Amino acid sequence: MRGARELMATLANEMALVHRHGRHILLDGEPTAILWLGATAAVTLGNGSVCWIEDGAEPSACAVHAGAILSACRDPAGAGVVTGGDDGAVRRVLPDGGVEELGRFERGWVEHLVSSPASGLLVAGIGREAVVWTRGATEPSHRYAVGSTIGGLALDGKGKRLGIAHYNGATLVYASTPSSGRLALNWIGSQLACTLSPDGRYLITALQETGLHGWQLPELRDMRMSGYAAKTRSFSWDRRAKWLATSGDARAILWPFEGKTGPMGKAPLLLAERKGALVTRVAFHPRDDVLAVGYSDGTMLLVRPADDRTLLLDDGGAYITALAWSDDGARLGWGDEDGRIGILDMEARA
Amino acid sequence: MTATDRIPVTVLTGYLGAGKTTLLNRILSENHGRKYAVIVNEFGEIGIDNDLIVDADEEVFEMNNGCICCTVRGDLIRIIEGLMKRKGAFDAIVIETTGLADPAPVAQTFFVDDDVRARASLDAIVTVVDARHVLARLEDSHEAEEQIAFADVILLNKTDLVSEQELEEVRQRVRSINGQARLHETRNCVVPLDEVLERGAFDLDRILEIEPNFLSEDDHEHDDAITSVSLKSDAALRPELFMPWLRQLTAEQGQNILRLKGVLAFWGEDQRYVVQGVHMLLDGDHQRDWRPEEPRTSRMVFIGRNLDPEALQRGFESCAVRAS
Repeated sequence: MRGARELMATLANEMALVHRHGRHILLDGEPTAILWLGATAAVTLGNGSVCWIEDGAEPSACAVHAGAILSACRDPAGAGVVTGGDDGAVRRVLPDGGVEELGRFERGWVEHLVSSPASGLLVAGIGREAVVWTRGATEPSHRYAVGSTIGGLALDGKGKRLGIAHYNGATLVYASTPSSGRLALNWIGSQLACTLSPDGRYLITALQETGLHGWQLPELRDMRMSGYAAKTRSFSWDRRAKWLATSGDARAILWPFEGKTGPMGKAPLLLAERKGALVTRVAFHPRDDVLAVGYSDGTMLLVRPADDRTLLLDDGGAYITALAWSDDGARLGWGDEDGRIGILDMEARA
Repeated sequence: MTATDRIPVTVLTGYLGAGKTTLLNRILSENHGRKYAVIVNEFGEIGIDNDLIVDADEEVFEMNNGCICCTVRGDLIRIIEGLMKRKGAFDAIVIETTGLADPAPVAQTFFVDDDVRARASLDAIVTVVDARHVLARLEDSHEAEEQIAFADVILLNKTDLVSEQELEEVRQRVRSINGQARLHETRNCVVPLDEVLERGAFDLDRILEIEPNFLSEDDHEHDDAITSVSLKSDAALRPELFMPWLRQLTAEQGQNILRLKGVLAFWGEDQRYVVQGVHMLLDGDHQRDWRPEEPRTSRMVFIGRNLDPEALQRGFESCAVRAS
């Protein structure tokens, strides 16, 4: 009986796509983000290091922060990644191991980082301040204070408009302008992760109570998107910005943003349900109508929104904490809380 | 993740100057082989020697969930989540609150937020009380009273600075507010740390040792004084009666009920059912089998304002299986 079960488990494992088109790498620490620079993946870890993963090479880790890396984004110039730690430091890390300090905030936690190659802006969220570095700056250029601790940051497609989520609403600024006017968006409760649609017409925030709140701009029309089992922490827009995929339920929940009124009065698409588990990360393929979905039980699926057909990428791991496609969509990287990294390489064959 | 994997959290409260930081430094300096993450208020002045200290900013958020008194500490939700990324860096968390902090949002954070609940469990609220000044504080400070009411463990500190008669008066007063907490009388917060830390499950068994004590009218110092009410039933309870009773009670009187705890014997069940609550929030679960020698007595303790002991006891008894 036991033998049969093991055999089934082995078969199930072999069916997962990662075994045919990818590989696993075990790291010492919880991955907090995966970022791609071309075909090279940078994994930021809870032990403060950044690990570089390249084809045909051993993973190489470098110590960057004294504590956990809480936030990370790509360097706006594309040369490396920028990391924020619970040691209060913001650092730029290059694949050759070079580390440069961009800022230090005593006794602060750098919990949010966003950047835009279009505008060259880098923005960090530290406590109640959004700190901006303009293109090429190696020290903070200016900052915006809000009334409570920042729950999330988001830039639009041009990288100019910045959404800052906080308690009882969100604030919008034009982040390249130090004296930017502010647009206050009010909604009761604690607003956490947020995203701006690429065209800047919608700001969506995740609520502490679960569910999403949205504002349509410039009319400031409110939208409520509810029905989640847990807090939403992961957002992904598809390549045409027709759909916003979200985490926080046993299914990936996709809201339609076509047309003049976005998701108002429309039903979401509910995809790739896994009973008893939660979707923890979502990432749309950059060039195809395919969504990668990571779950709290370590399962990784690819799903096609058109017909909800799924393909098993990986299983047997733990809570998925990081997920990202490379820009060309040829590679997908994910990581679970036990430090197991999966790399799917569509060009490779085992 | 099972309950035993959760990181235990000890909350230290107490009015300014009562000795919280003395206790915290004692916890951190005694050689117990445990690594602590310490969350302190950013305005704290006295030095604390520990590898992992995090500044909290005591951001109290209202939950927009229809529960009128449900407030949480937004900063604690973020900090606990962030700390958990440092796997293996610490075994337990100690939170030091400011002297003026209301303990309810801290406690409620551990009931309301699913992500916090999955990773951390509130082990005990420890309140340090200054024996010399507490009676005056209770006159002018709402918070001082609530800190005592919320406690699982009370350190009646600076006992060397009061006479035996004054100490007895303080003892009585503290007991009238919170009849269920473990009370230790200390100087310089000298107490065996295993009496304070990692007590487990909110120290629920303690309530089994308390005999119901109905307060007489003259115990009421003023109308909105906080009191404790203990309930007891030797007959097994019917869960289908008890659960709706408790839910309705907390829905109607949750604002007045600061804390409640219970160890219950349900009819036809071999496991103890434990329940605890803060205001309107309830959390209950089967705990372990009743031991053969253990009397299957159900007990509850309510701590709050304007509690009606007779009505509570009647309601509790009406959930019991009647002897036929």
